[in-house]
Amino acid sequence: MVKKISFLILAAAILVTGVIGFRKLGFWDRSVRIFNYSSNTSFEGRMGRGQGGRGFERGEFERPLMRELPDSIRARFESREGRPGQGMRGRNIPDSLRQQLRPQDGERTGRGSFEGGIRTGEGRGRGEFPDGKKINIRNVQWFLAVFAAFTVIAIYIDKAACLIRRRKARLMRQL
Amino acid sequence: MNILKFIISLLITIAMLLLMDPRSFYGLAFHEWAGLIIGIFFILHKILNWGWIKKVTVGFFRKCPARARFNYVVDILLLAGITLMILSGIAIARTIDFSWLNLGGSGIFWRVMHTSSSFITLALFGIHLGLHWNWVLVLLHLKKSKNGKKN
Repeated sequence: MVKKISFLILAAAILVTGVIGFRKLGFWDRSVRIFNYSSNTSFEGRMGRGQGGRGFERGEFERPLMRELPDSIRARFESREGRPGQGMRGRNIPDSLRQQLRPQDGERTGRGSFEGGIRTGEGRGRGEFPDGKKINIRNVQWFLAVFAAFTVIAIYIDKAACLIRRRKARLMRQL
Repeated sequence: MNILKFIISLLITIAMLLLMDPRSFYGLAFHEWAGLIIGIFFILHKILNWGWIKKVTVGFFRKCPARARFNYVVDILLLAGITLMILSGIAIARTIDFSWLNLGGSGIFWRVMHTSSSFITLALFGIHLGLHWNWVLVLLHLKKSKNGKKN
């Protein structure tokens, strides 16, 4: 009995952690996004992903707008290859402000997947973190929690189905 | 044989979890290569369970327990999910050049597809493990097999 109760408590804890992870990761929104996808869908800002703001890389958002820009301005943007700050050299901005606006090379925000990657695979794309670490499994923990929660749900639904089946069989035998 | 199946399943699960965040474990290059390798392991997993697949496929519309049928549907969805995940991953790959494949479609579409398919597949992975939990417990000698057979 003690064993059963402790397993139940453990299962409840896994479920609660899973639900927190589910919300934190925006699991539902991100899972069903493909079903709401249409080529005309406009993705604004960080895709409204909530915590951590896991949006698409900036380049993807800006592409449709780029088409509407005059050729001269577009050319200037393209020469920068989507790296904000690089095209500021020729502008009349004080050095201090330019330094502030220019992103640091290899700057990371630790926001998780699909964030601000660079097509060439430089910088963030390689997945190094500001402190030089190559492993940061904070986000993975939430995925693990959600995974475990789904497992626990499946185990208990399977058990319930087995119980119902057994009861039905017993009833049939009695009749 | 069962130990091999278990080790492969465990490796797939760990890899899948680590791959859920592209930058969490040795960056994007690892993410892309491991994503491809996981596909090979998945095929291996299917080959090792080919006997069951064949049996249920043949008897799916005839005499087949409802549980096995449900397992089969989950497995088909998993197969579809993993295929879409790898395909969309190939389409948006940055460190490996797959441009020669000319998959077409917009970057946004493939990215949304990659995220959605990976999230749905992770949920299906959990359900798949839950449905095979008894097998895991028996294999780890934490539970006795019902029919007394040695697993």
